[in-house]
Amino acid sequence: MKALALLLAAVFLIAAILYATGHGYPAGVHEKHAILAFVLAVLALVWFRFQSTPASTSR
Amino acid sequence: MAHVATAVVTFVQAMLLAALQGVSELFPISSLGHTVLIPALLRWPVAESDESFLAFVVVLHLGTAIALIVFYRTTWIGIVRGLVRSVVRGRIGDDPDERIGWLLVAGTIPVGVLGVLFQSSVRALFGSPLAVALFLVANAFVMFAGESLRRRAVTVGTALEDLSWQKGIGVGVAQGLALLPGISRSGSAIVAGLLAGLDHEAAATYSFLLATPVILAASVLEIPKLFAPEVRGITVEAVAGGVLAGLTAYASVAFLTRYFRHNDLRPFGWYCLVLGGVSAALFFWKVIP
Repeated sequence: MKALALLLAAVFLIAAILYATGHGYPAGVHEKHAILAFVLAVLALVWFRFQSTPASTSR
Repeated sequence: MAHVATAVVTFVQAMLLAALQGVSELFPISSLGHTVLIPALLRWPVAESDESFLAFVVVLHLGTAIALIVFYRTTWIGIVRGLVRSVVRGRIGDDPDERIGWLLVAGTIPVGVLGVLFQSSVRALFGSPLAVALFLVANAFVMFAGESLRRRAVTVGTALEDLSWQKGIGVGVAQGLALLPGISRSGSAIVAGLLAGLDHEAAATYSFLLATPVILAASVLEIPKLFAPEVRGITVEAVAGGVLAGLTAYASVAFLTRYFRHNDLRPFGWYCLVLGGVSAALFFWKVIP
């Protein structure tokens, strides 16, 4: 799960950069998509941190 | 006022729409549905796709979000502290604030994703008051069904902090239905909360807490519209409307948190059924073109 969290963080971060710069998207820059992807990347990193610490009480 | 002549709404219309927004955003009766239906029923020539009107609506939502933050300020301070504490510690502890905070994060992700991906696709429905009226009728049946299923439920009275991740996310997904104008965000979320085992008060609280980041993000992301060159002559209406929307939203959440201690969703279901049904009939038979 740690690897998955890190992979998701990387994917969302790349997506955020692509959306923010408009690279690969003919329709141009998508600010809202970029912000959403960035937020999801941060949350994936938080999930990675939770996975990295033992004795989680997550239900 | 000279600028009103060029504005998309008059001052009186702006104030009525602001009060309507503040109330209907939190009452389970669909604010989007009312924003489309009421001007159509009253035959107001409101240009809902006009940049100035969209900027006005952004300010109304901002006022509503600020009212929610002020009303739940103590809860939010605890939640933010809990979130920071859990990230620093590297795990979610037993503190209810930490648990509720992460439930809110998990529940907000689906509606955020759905909103960004599909909002522009469903915007076409905003131009059809008949479709909105029919969705309002559907909203009534969602509430009736929710109340009926809850009475048969085995598990009731689950504390908010004991909600499972799946159920917390499920409530967030249900909120996404409110992208359809006529389906209430708070109504869908409260029904989903009831089905997840919460009582009315806890379901309403979770719904209002979930709504806060969504409404705030939606309005903050649209703030650039306020400074668009096409936006003209709406400043007074927007500022006064934002304040009024905030005040009515505050009064609404104060009323509803007390109301749901002892009452249920059915009166709102009847209201939506009557307003949606009558409106649909008027639009269908072109009594109102």
